[in-house]
Amino acid sequence: MDRMFQRIMRGLVDTGRAPHYAELARALGLGVEEARVLLHDVMRAYPIGWLHPETDYIASFPPLNNLPTQYRITVRGEQRWFAQCGFEATSVTWLFPGETVRVDAPCLDCGDPVSVEMRDGRIVWVDPPGVVGHLNYGFGPSRGRPPFL
Amino acid sequence: MNLFRSEEHARRWPAFQARSEEGFIGLAALAGFFATESRHHMLDADYLSTWYPRRGEERRAYLELIGKTSPFWLGTPDPGTA
Repeated sequence: MDRMFQRIMRGLVDTGRAPHYAELARALGLGVEEARVLLHDVMRAYPIGWLHPETDYIASFPPLNNLPTQYRITVRGEQRWFAQCGFEATSVTWLFPGETVRVDAPCLDCGDPVSVEMRDGRIVWVDPPGVVGHLNYGFGPSRGRPPFL
Repeated sequence: MNLFRSEEHARRWPAFQARSEEGFIGLAALAGFFATESRHHMLDADYLSTWYPRRGEERRAYLELIGKTSPFWLGTPDPGTA
């Protein structure tokens, strides 16, 4: 499972999208069906991510998302990535050591921009200065359904 | 789990839950919450087996450090909603 996990995460970092299980099969020297089953095992072991319902497609693999969200991530001037949510957006920096990682999102109230730049975990720029994180449903039992963060 | 321009913007969001008045966290604290040791190893070959299992305890310790000890943040059973 570690090998598949790393392939998925590395694929997301390198290309902005998660590999399909058939691609993972070839990369890992597995049969295609074997890889599909292993993908489900990986997602069960990493339940903060999820497959699109009723499919074998990776939708969310935090901190990144394969399904676009409003949290756009830009690195080296390229906007290829999306964060799972506003909270996970602040940990994308750990996937790009030594790089400036920019998060841009529209505010869900007014649509005006929220922008944060981080480098190796440090916040280096934020606009507007009053940006806050907000947890609308508590963690644990009171949390909303994962696909609807 | 969203970022807003300010607390007032969040409160004006139509989906804002009254209970989530306690759900605000400053950006620096949020960055710290998502910067615990295991997060530094997300690209490591053994992340899933070695580092991910440590995440829950790290998160709890950090939340306690910043004073967010309610069931809402810790994910513990909430007598008020049982």
